[in-house]
Amino acid sequence: MTDTVTGTLPASEQCTITVGGMTCAACSSRVQRALETTPGVSTANVNLMTGAATVRFDPGAVSLDVLIARVRDTGYDASLPDPGATPETTLDAQDAERAAEDRSLRRKFAVSLALALLTTIVGLFPGGMSGEATGSAALLRWLQLALALPVVLWAGRHFYVRAWLAFRHHGADMNTLIAVGTGAALLFSIAMTVGGGWFASHGIAPQVYYEVVTWLIAFILLGNWLEARARTRTAGAIRALAGLRPATARVLRDGNEVDVPLAELRVGDVALVRPGEKIPADGTVLDGSSHVDESMLTGEPLPVPKAPGDAVTGATLNRAGAFRFRVDRVGRDTVLSRIIGLVQQAQASRPPIQRLADRISGVFVPVVMALAVATFVVWYDLGPEPRLVQALVSAVTVLVIACPCAMGLAVPTAVMVSTGRGAELGILIRGGEALERAEGIDTVVFDKTGTLTAGHPALATVHGGGRVLALAAAVERRSEHPIAETIVAAARERGMQLPDVAGFAVHPGKGVTATLDGRHIAVGNRALMDAERIPVGTLSAEADAQAARARTVVYVAADGALQGLLAVEDPIKRESGDAVRALQALDVQVVVLTGDSRATAEHVGRAVGADRVVAEVLPEGKLAEIRRLQAEGRVVAMVGDGLNDAPALAAADVGIAMGTGTDVAMETGAVTLMRGDPRTVVGAIALSRRTMRIIRQNLFWALIYNALGIPVAAGVLYPLLGLRLSPVLAGAAMALSSVSVVSNSLRLRSFHVA
Amino acid sequence: MTLDRILVTVAGIAAIGWVYWYFFRAAHAGAASRPAEGHHHD
Repeated sequence: MTDTVTGTLPASEQCTITVGGMTCAACSSRVQRALETTPGVSTANVNLMTGAATVRFDPGAVSLDVLIARVRDTGYDASLPDPGATPETTLDAQDAERAAEDRSLRRKFAVSLALALLTTIVGLFPGGMSGEATGSAALLRWLQLALALPVVLWAGRHFYVRAWLAFRHHGADMNTLIAVGTGAALLFSIAMTVGGGWFASHGIAPQVYYEVVTWLIAFILLGNWLEARARTRTAGAIRALAGLRPATARVLRDGNEVDVPLAELRVGDVALVRPGEKIPADGTVLDGSSHVDESMLTGEPLPVPKAPGDAVTGATLNRAGAFRFRVDRVGRDTVLSRIIGLVQQAQASRPPIQRLADRISGVFVPVVMALAVATFVVWYDLGPEPRLVQALVSAVTVLVIACPCAMGLAVPTAVMVSTGRGAELGILIRGGEALERAEGIDTVVFDKTGTLTAGHPALATVHGGGRVLALAAAVERRSEHPIAETIVAAARERGMQLPDVAGFAVHPGKGVTATLDGRHIAVGNRALMDAERIPVGTLSAEADAQAARARTVVYVAADGALQGLLAVEDPIKRESGDAVRALQALDVQVVVLTGDSRATAEHVGRAVGADRVVAEVLPEGKLAEIRRLQAEGRVVAMVGDGLNDAPALAAADVGIAMGTGTDVAMETGAVTLMRGDPRTVVGAIALSRRTMRIIRQNLFWALIYNALGIPVAAGVLYPLLGLRLSPVLAGAAMALSSVSVVSNSLRLRSFHVA
Repeated sequence: MTLDRILVTVAGIAAIGWVYWYFFRAAHAGAASRPAEGHHHD
């Protein structure tokens, strides 16, 4: 369908804009609103943690320049990422930006702290704060003003600028609260300083609150600084991934070995890797052999053997031998870059629970401003003398204690740390939504082959001697079926020479036939034997016994006479039993789903301790089984290899694609397991449960903090207990609340797969 | 109730009304297509 015909589907493009200077949920919410209300924009998603806005727009209706201008108009920096940027270079740029922010906040905090101390000391001199109308007291007030001004005009300037820009767009955020709170205290104090004599002559003691202003700004800067540092730590996992890649590669150019920077490595280059070196890019081993430590990408602890023809992955560590390999993928196409890209996307995504936080922080600031006004009025009307001063201080305290920062950080910090930690463990979670859905999983369906079993069949037994194996292997050599490969490999291991065959034919779902030395050879299952009218009576008992042990039986016949049989086994992974038991301990039902025979499936199900076994299902049947479980009200995770069970993975509530090593269909599932260990399924579920628990704790504490802090700040305890909160204490509490939320999220860094 | 208290009370109520109007009503006047509680997005 084209838009010229119907006009209903305008062309759309997606871009990512880097947004700088956002500090809380209200900031990102405002940028998002500005983008969404721009004509020509269909969707916008702004992420506070990554500082990125993803915008889908109609290029015919709005240009990138307009979008950038829209964001800048709301008071934040906006720029387009470099089009040639890889995830790593983006990361470097973010790092540099964070480091600069860190330095700037630290400097501003240090200066504010020093000036706040000086302001307080000056205030302690006789007459400094007590509101005396003497000349020396007036001088002290002017001195305090001189000390407070740099704090307001330099260190805290960005609060006022951002609050103003937000205000112009009918927006209000944490900057608004800080600016109005400190601004009110400052203007009141300036009025008392300038017109001290006049106030004194009218019976109002000229009290000043410069130390409140300076301490507040110092505390808020401290909170921002600690928060920025903690946020940098939440991105640590992804930075560690990016740091895995070596800086240079040794390649053959014109017959010489030369070291080239990674950026100059090209597909088709032949690279050399010595023992102890990192592999620079993805490729295929040409000669030499070695063991490679892939744990940094897959979590697999044992080094993986590599021989000519095997794939190697960039950033993994070569252990023992030396080898040469052909470079197949560089830059953005490598496994490492794809992992980093996936994790970055996941970290930028928003779980549905975020909506709750957004909804609250969006209306929160104006509500707090109204509460502050009400506090002022009540204290002025009913409070003790000096009423004006008491009313002002209480209103300022309300403004300062209520900051939505903790609310804004509650969800994204947890998602960020959890997806990063998952990546370190070889568990790639596709985003916040996957995380939230994975929490509720109560049924895990394993597509048997490749998840609970190794997926690499091995020859278990030969009935009829080496001659039978040689016959079978000679014919199967032409086939690409995994069982055929197993038989051929077994024959080669035994040093058999495999003669050429003629008239090779594949009988799908049954087996293969060919002519060898003038004899008609048939290799396949019972159905092939039936089709060839070959009686299997003599070996049927043996065949049944093999099938009961979960082995696949392959009959071998020559010129219509049965010669013997082979049994091929797909061994159960060592960890499968542990994984099933651990899942059951989490109250998760385990189902084994397979296209294999009932006997094989039941054997595997019994061996691992599964709750249910569903056998002999076709790919469409797998989908139907998932749907049936969902119809029972179950939240179903489907674990498969991601290649031939994509529909079932997509239909499940959470599709889990399990790879063996780095060769995995990464983009198929909501969760990708880089390692073939079924225990990582347990890890993925446990990680999602732990993350959601931390998110709920964060939201709870952020809400409780405000629910208790605001009434106390407004003075509800004063009539009963005479208890009031000072604005400075409120500032410290606010800083503490955001830092505690981030620290709580950082606890996820210690998560381990049990 | 003294005059200053009455004035502060009236000014306070007016200020609260203004906050409501400025941040909720007027904010949405320029963005009529937005949902009613438009400060937040899914």
